Amino acid sequence: MRYITHSLLTVLTLSLLALTSLTPALAERLVSAISSSQVAITSNFTGTQILVYGEIVRDAETVPRSGDQDLVVVVEGPLERVTTWRKDRILGVWINATSQTYIAVPSFYAVHTTDDLRNIASENWLKQYRIGLDNLPLAALGSRAPAAERLAFKEAFLRARVQNGLYTQVSRSINFLSPTLFSTTVDLPANIPTGEYKITTFLFSGGVLLDQQEQVLTVAKTGFEQVTFSLSRQHPAVYGALAVMLALFTGWVAGVIFKKD
Amino acid sequence: MIFAMGGTVGFLSGLFGIGGGFLLTPLLIFSGIPPAVSVATVTTQIVASSASGVLSYWRKAGIDFKLAGVLLCSGIVGSALGVWIFGILQSLGQLDLVISLSYVTFLGTIGVLMLGESVKAIMRRKNGEAPTGRRPGQHNWVHGLPFKIRFRRSKLYVSVIPIFGIGSSIGFLGSVLGIGGGFMMVPALIYLLRVPAHIVIGTSLLQILGTMAVATFLHSINTQSVDIVLALTLMIGGVIGAQFGAQVGQGMRGEHLRLGLGLLVLLVGLRFAYNLIVEPDDLYSVTVIEEPVR
Repeated sequence: MRYITHSLLTVLTLSLLALTSLTPALAERLVSAISSSQVAITSNFTGTQILVYGEIVRDAETVPRSGDQDLVVVVEGPLERVTTWRKDRILGVWINATSQTYIAVPSFYAVHTTDDLRNIASENWLKQYRIGLDNLPLAALGSRAPAAERLAFKEAFLRARVQNGLYTQVSRSINFLSPTLFSTTVDLPANIPTGEYKITTFLFSGGVLLDQQEQVLTVAKTGFEQVTFSLSRQHPAVYGALAVMLALFTGWVAGVIFKKD
Repeated sequence: MIFAMGGTVGFLSGLFGIGGGFLLTPLLIFSGIPPAVSVATVTTQIVASSASGVLSYWRKAGIDFKLAGVLLCSGIVGSALGVWIFGILQSLGQLDLVISLSYVTFLGTIGVLMLGESVKAIMRRKNGEAPTGRRPGQHNWVHGLPFKIRFRRSKLYVSVIPIFGIGSSIGFLGSVLGIGGGFMMVPALIYLLRVPAHIVIGTSLLQILGTMAVATFLHSINTQSVDIVLALTLMIGGVIGAQFGAQVGQGMRGEHLRLGLGLLVLLVGLRFAYNLIVEPDDLYSVTVIEEPVR
């Protein structure tokens, strides 16, 4: 809901700005799109790519410029709750000893930019809009651990996510096809979680946000995968019974086929 | 890859005449599948592999249904307890540790015992001594316990206490560790209860089948970690592998087979111990507690 009001406000502000249209810099708008609004995860899914492209639209009287505009594309997966564990040696054995739990962290997060983030916008702004791996709000649930400890956990979490391809941040990965046309491809690895993804494109000039556009990408399992998965979560008893029957059937078939004595 | 693993373990299980769960679960864990999923899915695979065994022993009238029934009832109790504890350990973040520790303990102990026994048997054969056979009819302390029941098929008159003990502990271990437990139950039935050899395997297979079916069902409901697709792949691989294994196994000598199995068991146990004792590359690990709303 807050989200809708937010975009409504943006639209309102933008239209107001368009009406008054005093400064040429603010007359630049952004039109963006994604190559597909759906990703289907089938049983042989090995990852895919999504193309985010668009155009920077200028008013007729605006002098075309290139070079001082910056774009940021953020792909954010559905939020989830995670726990990061750290092992300690207890009685000679490595055991999960301490943990930090983060609520509402994105299950997938990719940032593509035309330049280093710190050259594009102020740190405060990036923090506020949660743009960039370092600016994700990773506040541990009820943690009284010292700051250094919290930082170590946060870094470990980000490291793990980057390692399995769920979090990425790549500078200068947005290509300009012409002074106004841009595109970038975002890798979606084989292990992406399902759900609604939010793809936001930001247009900056000289550290000021000029416009932003948002698309929704749906990642869903399809076919057999989808049926078994939703069954296992929604009707676990049916799923369990099915698994047992399948096993009995397979065993019986095998017994009949390989009947020796 | 997983199909090949199922096939390999199926081959070994056919070769050594074991269920293979205690090899398959570790293999899945070592290949990067989360321990919870490995354990729960292997319980499903065991249902399939024991089903075909039960079928063939049934045809040969090699099952004591009354004994299997009593074992099964106690197995279900143990299995329910196991799944419950499994869930608790999972939420505490200590499931992996308990699985590893239990594997080290069990596989270490059993591996050493098997090695010792088979080496002795091989030495005896070399020295030309006659192998010491079992003496049926001989009684031990187990036969002095109360609450006796008569099992006609096995020609037994024994207390339910040891039967309940064996059945429930196998059920418990099976659902926590993803093992059928045949390699523990068969010796227990033979040495503790004196169940005749031609009945023991069929009966224990039926108990394993029932217990693992219940474990699969409970894991599906409680921890939702059964993966049907993975299980099916394992089943098919396992079934095919077992046929080849059985053929190769028939051409080998019993104590050499046991020596090989003992070594294998010990190796898997050591591998778990290694993971526990050596400092991990990354001390940190991330677990998703609440999956995103789908």
